Amino acid sequence: MTWWVRSSLRTKIFLAFSSLILAVLLSTLWFTQLFVSRQVQATLKEELLTTGQVFQGLIAERATRLLTNTTLLAGDYALKQVLVTYHPLTLSSVARNYQQRIGVDLLWITDEEGNLLGDSRGVPNASVELATLSALSQVLATEESLAVISVVDGTLFQLAAVPILGPDAIGFLVLGQGIDDRTARQLRDDTGSHVSFVTQGKFFASSWSPQVANGNSLQRRLRDELRHDMQNMQDMQDMQEQTRVVTVAGERFLSLAVAIESQLPVPLYAFIQRSYDEALAPLSALRLRIILIGGGALVIALFVGGGLASGMTAPIQTLVHGMREVLKGNLDLRLHVDREDEIGFLAQSFDEMVEGLAEKERIRDTFGRFVSRSVAEAVLEGKGALRGEKREVCILFQDIRGFTAISERTDPAALLNMLNQFFTEIVAAVEAEGGIVKQFTGDGVMALFGAPVKHDDDSERAVRAALDMVRRLADLNIRLAAQNLPAIRIGVGIHTGEVVAGQIGPDERIEYGVVGDPVNLASRIEGLTKEMQTTILVSESTAALLGPGFSLGRSAMFSVKGKEKPVRVVEVLGYEV
Amino acid sequence: MRVLLKASTCIVGLSLGSWLALVDCSFALAGEINGRVIGPDGEGIAQAVVFVQTLPAGVSSPTPLAAAHMDQVNEQFAPTLLPIPVGTKVSFPNQDQIHHHVYSFSRAKRFEIPLYRGEEEAPIVFDKAGVVKVGCNIHDWMAGIILVVPTPFYAVTAGDGSFTLRDLPAATYPLVSWHERSQTAVEETLQQILVDEKVPNVTFSLTLKSGGSRRPIRGSRGYR
Repeated sequence: MTWWVRSSLRTKIFLAFSSLILAVLLSTLWFTQLFVSRQVQATLKEELLTTGQVFQGLIAERATRLLTNTTLLAGDYALKQVLVTYHPLTLSSVARNYQQRIGVDLLWITDEEGNLLGDSRGVPNASVELATLSALSQVLATEESLAVISVVDGTLFQLAAVPILGPDAIGFLVLGQGIDDRTARQLRDDTGSHVSFVTQGKFFASSWSPQVANGNSLQRRLRDELRHDMQNMQDMQDMQEQTRVVTVAGERFLSLAVAIESQLPVPLYAFIQRSYDEALAPLSALRLRIILIGGGALVIALFVGGGLASGMTAPIQTLVHGMREVLKGNLDLRLHVDREDEIGFLAQSFDEMVEGLAEKERIRDTFGRFVSRSVAEAVLEGKGALRGEKREVCILFQDIRGFTAISERTDPAALLNMLNQFFTEIVAAVEAEGGIVKQFTGDGVMALFGAPVKHDDDSERAVRAALDMVRRLADLNIRLAAQNLPAIRIGVGIHTGEVVAGQIGPDERIEYGVVGDPVNLASRIEGLTKEMQTTILVSESTAALLGPGFSLGRSAMFSVKGKEKPVRVVEVLGYEV
Repeated sequence: MRVLLKASTCIVGLSLGSWLALVDCSFALAGEINGRVIGPDGEGIAQAVVFVQTLPAGVSSPTPLAAAHMDQVNEQFAPTLLPIPVGTKVSFPNQDQIHHHVYSFSRAKRFEIPLYRGEEEAPIVFDKAGVVKVGCNIHDWMAGIILVVPTPFYAVTAGDGSFTLRDLPAATYPLVSWHERSQTAVEETLQQILVDEKVPNVTFSLTLKSGGSRRPIRGSRGYR
């Protein structure tokens, strides 16, 4: 099943759909086959039974016709006149004459006691009497006309016996029509079914061709088949009204036994056969058509299934594609799937999700230029607020001493190189303590501690950052000296106070910033470092927030522009853990 | 039928010689015989014929034989049963407007009157005792019987089976009875009856074949 797990959704849907169609097609074919086959069998049986009835009707019709002919002939006055000559030679000659005239197989003329006087087959044996033919003894007794089926000299005959009236019976006329292969074939032509006349002991006639097929006579094969049947059958009655399939020369036939009324000592049956395979032929054609139509339907279904699978999986493919793009970092992609179903919901959610990611990325970009990644992420994680608010912030201003003189005597390219190295160290010092570089002032920076991310010890962090700047500057100056660049000295002023913090500026140039008097004061304090000939100065409020470990130096009161009261500043010398 | 024909053969054998020999005998006192022909159930049998089989010694034929006739009326023979003494001339007048072709193939008398109307043919002499079955070649349903009896003494039973033989000289008569459907041979019905002052009462018992006469029914297609 690994291939199934691995195969694409489209393949799965396609296979499922195709399997369903195929299953429907095959089951339709199977049910049709079953139903039609049963139907054909039932119809064939019905037809065979009808043929059986028609067949009995034909036999009866033949008997009636024979009886009518016999009756007509028996009324012939010339026959009566010749009969009373009682001259066998003449009567046999007359019998032959009438036999040829009517076209029957047998013609007998007897006297009123049933003694055979005329025989169409020749001069009769004087010992033959009508009474000895059990079939005709009844005619003798009742003087009623009668048609029977009986055996004469081993051949099956339909016999009609009619008294010759003058005006009472002065003799009897018997006409016989043989039931032979020719008769059976005639019946086959009339009914469309093969027919064979059999008793339990004898096979009399059949419409089956006596010609040899496959080294054996069809008649003989059928005979053997029927004989086998009869031996197995306890009661011949069982065979009536029951159809069974017999195979003759490779073709299947439905066979039915029809009882024929006769004067034989054993029951006479007509076995009627109709080709089963021939009847099933339309089914084969139907099956072929179903296969063709079904095959066509399957091909169409495969196309439709393919289209359906593609249609169903297309938005999912789009989603997958989008997801891959996002993984690659492309957050500009939008799916814009215009659907209201589950897939539409997914795509819409995807778009919203990417929108959110892009927003965060934009925010990250906004801060990224002047805050450390950790600060930016802290803000994104909700630890800092961007909206405008009043908060206590520690502000650090740094400036390069004598920068104007340095810039005048240094090559511009070298100057920029020097500045870049300088700011790298300064920014590193700020970010190492969790602050952000808010602004570059050309030769210095303005840094914030406590905004946008607040810490409990923002003032301490600012002071530690300033001390770090000094340390880093010492190292940098060694490297600058190696590059024949002038050494840099700095001044740092720090003040802690309440400001308004938030995003400031028009939409296109919005940035995070703080506004308030403490900013100006911090800048002033930085300016005081020159006057006090020191590197780091903090305001009294900031100094009050410093814990143990910080070494403070001199302090002084200065009146600051815009401030009514003088401000006390404290010199920071160092920090030890 | 076989039985009847055999019976008629017997009559032929017994009749003529003795009867012709006694023609000249003188008449004695005339008498009568009354009687009935009945079936096994006691019911009278109509259309049976009772006749003297042979004339007793001393009894002669009373008068010259009367001519008889069997008409054809409405495509039927009338009467359908005609007993006659042997030697009687019978004519077959055709009362219908159509032709008839009367014939008989009976051994007692074979004759044929080809298609005719009215009464053109000469009468037929029935010179042998026996049953003569008469038919019409063009009307299968027409059938009649002429019973040729050996003596002039005969009677046909009425509807109740009764009969009367009249003008019999006193003697002992061999009396027999016949019916078309009788299963009893004529010989077996023989009774010797003495005729004198007393009028004897004779009963014949016959067993008839069941069913009606096997006459072809007019208008039917077959023979039932």
